[in-house]
Amino acid sequence: MEKINSGDKVRIHADSGEFEGTVLPSLDKNIFVLKLKSGYNIGLEKKKIKKVELILKHKPQEYKKQKLSFNKELKTISILHTGGTIASQVNYETGGVIARFTPEEIVSMFPEIKDISNIKSRLISNMFSEDMNFNHYNILAKEIQKEIKNGADGIIITHGTDTLALTAAALSFTLEGLNIPVILVGAQRSSDRGSTDAKLNLLSAAHFIAKTDYQGVAICMHETKNDDKCLILPPAKTRKFHSSGRDAFKVINDVPIAEVSNEGHVKFLRQHPKKENKKLKLKLFKPNIKVGILKSHPNMFAKEISNYKNFNALILEGTGLGHFPINKIDKFTSENQKIYNEIKKLAKNMPVIMTSQTIYGRINMNVYSTGRLLQEAGVIGNYLDMLTETAFIKIAWLLSNYPKNKVKELFHENLRGEISKRTEE
Amino acid sequence: MDYQSLGFKCGLEIHQQLDTNKLFCNCQSFFEENKVDYEIKRKLKASAGELGDVDIAALHETLKNKAFIYQVNRETACLIELDDEPIHELNKEALKVVLQVAMVLNAKIIDELQVMRKVVVDGSNVSGFQRSALVAVNGFLDTSKGRVGIETICIEEESAKKIKEDEKTVTYNLSRLGIPLIEIATDASIKDPEHAKEVAEQLGMILRSTGKVKRGIGTIRQDVNVSIKGHPRVELKGFQDLRSIPKVIEQEIKRQQENIKNKKLHHEVRKVNPDFTSTFLRPMPGSSRMYPETDLVPIKISKNLLSEIKIPELITEKAVNIEKKYNLSPQMSREILKLNIPFDYYAEKYKLNPSIIAEILVEIPKELKARFNINTEKLTKDNFEFIFENLQSKKINREAAKDVLKELAEGKHIDLNNFKQIDNKEIEEKLKEIISKNKGAHFSALMGEAMKIFRGKSDGKTISDLLKKLVKN
Repeated sequence: MEKINSGDKVRIHADSGEFEGTVLPSLDKNIFVLKLKSGYNIGLEKKKIKKVELILKHKPQEYKKQKLSFNKELKTISILHTGGTIASQVNYETGGVIARFTPEEIVSMFPEIKDISNIKSRLISNMFSEDMNFNHYNILAKEIQKEIKNGADGIIITHGTDTLALTAAALSFTLEGLNIPVILVGAQRSSDRGSTDAKLNLLSAAHFIAKTDYQGVAICMHETKNDDKCLILPPAKTRKFHSSGRDAFKVINDVPIAEVSNEGHVKFLRQHPKKENKKLKLKLFKPNIKVGILKSHPNMFAKEISNYKNFNALILEGTGLGHFPINKIDKFTSENQKIYNEIKKLAKNMPVIMTSQTIYGRINMNVYSTGRLLQEAGVIGNYLDMLTETAFIKIAWLLSNYPKNKVKELFHENLRGEISKRTEE
Repeated sequence: MDYQSLGFKCGLEIHQQLDTNKLFCNCQSFFEENKVDYEIKRKLKASAGELGDVDIAALHETLKNKAFIYQVNRETACLIELDDEPIHELNKEALKVVLQVAMVLNAKIIDELQVMRKVVVDGSNVSGFQRSALVAVNGFLDTSKGRVGIETICIEEESAKKIKEDEKTVTYNLSRLGIPLIEIATDASIKDPEHAKEVAEQLGMILRSTGKVKRGIGTIRQDVNVSIKGHPRVELKGFQDLRSIPKVIEQEIKRQQENIKNKKLHHEVRKVNPDFTSTFLRPMPGSSRMYPETDLVPIKISKNLLSEIKIPELITEKAVNIEKKYNLSPQMSREILKLNIPFDYYAEKYKLNPSIIAEILVEIPKELKARFNINTEKLTKDNFEFIFENLQSKKINREAAKDVLKELAEGKHIDLNNFKQIDNKEIEEKLKEIISKNKGAHFSALMGEAMKIFRGKSDGKTISDLLKKLVKN
């Protein structure tokens, strides 16, 4: 018998009857997966199959390319892809999802985009965002620099949503003197579904680039569950707040930069600096910098802190205004004393930074004695309203680019909008 | 008419809502149109290649200018209906009902189910697709006119109900979205229009026998595919009543014969009208575009699962059983089962004639509804037990039962003193009065006067006997 491959048309004689269809790849070696003419896929147990007849060998379909024209009147946007979902499309023959990244493919999926700008598009790395590390931030920064040199008026980065906000923060630090808009866009609902949020997010980012003179990194995602508006969000002040909803990205201790309506109207929600002549300078990450994040919780042990003794920095995500369990109150709390000693030891050798689990609000380690003791131990971050994730990116970036004695001072300085001096809400 | 020589081909597709929670989430599945907690607005995206023959550019333009408003009731829709959360597991309870039906219909169950996404771009599914899985194939149903093949049995999601539409927006209510449906498709071997009705009735009966299907308007839909030689297949949708199936098919055959004469041959979907005619709804859609639901692993139908499935006792069998056991009419027995009344429970608990129990449970509510337009669905088990207890202890009689039931259905407070039985002496006294007041009146007039007074306090037969005796004297 001729070998049967995925995509081949076959007739199967099984205990449950005769089935004609296309062979699909199966995850289970005991199951034969067939796409029937009706469109349904079924799984048949191999041991119940009596005969497989080959009807037609598979011939891969050619993907029809659309020719793109260049419009001198429009800006040029480079789309750099780091993840598959925003540009994925279903192959109805096999049912698989194929990622599409060429400009022609992007335009065929989102035709409106060609009326907004000229499009360049290429794949940087096709990965889940949770797998990214500092190396990838550096690659992205270099690719952005390359695109700017090649004349891009703006850049859209498609990115998995899980760590999108961290990449945005990282790029905002890395791309010093950035003179064009670099907008990160994700999709919470995959673009193989009609209801995807990818389209509005992508088109809104394109509108924002085409219609404004914004310079810097930002995030563009849905504001609500409605497909009617996107927000342009500050890179170091934004956090993903929902595992699946399209309205997942919220600005913390700050206000959004702008909103973009479904029709492409841009409205700035705060003052943004005038366009200026800046020169881009890349300040990259050292990939081997080790920064830990430790969340305070009841019943903590000192070992949890000393685990980080060989790291370069530690973020303590404390409770409330910035607290850790460090007070010996009774016979049950002697471990707390050890915790305090370990924090003190670490803080002698590395930046130990306090952020808050409350997410909203500001650190103040002067209100309670716990905070004062932590400051005495050398914990920094007082009066800051920085997100844990941003603090993590910032300290790693500072340690990568500045001498150790400047790091603590710079950490408390607002470099990219990561610190607000006042809190309105 | 000789349907065979016409080249008559006919098959049915039945969609029935299952009475479980929703198919892929834990929302309850009742339809609540009037309570809207909030609304969301969505757009759908068209992708190249998704619809094959359809002009993608045109579809793109249509969708570009179309927005969908979804009404959300928090009790019946969650983020899964809003397509803002990946689906949970396929509802096992619903799957078991489908497997039960597959077994009754002698169908072969697929070893591993693959939930598919069927592309739908009218907005009736928030996601842009309807989820559906093929569960069983190659079954059959034995009928009075021979065997009819059951080609496929699927489990799928119900769509959202359209509330209104204008040029730019379509509004849907999400309560109905995601209710499990079983879809049964027969082959085209139905012999004639009457046979189509029989097959629809039998399938309906089998579905109801599971005790797990929804009842009421819109919970079951029968689509009829029909063609005669020389005419492409036509799908008829929207039957309000199974009894209309033969007439509608006959009209359709006439229409197709005319079409063949005039060479107007269209492959189309038509909507059935109350006068048995049909009107054009849309061209017959091409085969659906389907791709796998990627948020779910394939579902193996294990031997364990199959061993848990019990083949239900069919309503036809149940009806024969009740009929024999309680000496009821076949019609009454079927009615009891259709209404899903636990007849055994009442018949065993109360020492009353089963025919009286049946009358109170079935006939009287029907009469109250027809005569007084009273919503008898409000009557509870307690209400009926109240009647049976008082009948048993002879506090009320059969006549009074109707009045008490009427007042209960109207939500009135019941004062049994109003229905107190009076003894024959008292009746005789009153009757004498009536006779003397209405000298020369006809018997039936006297009886009418008497019943005004005694209604519910004694039964008609006693009064009529007494009256006869007195009149004679």
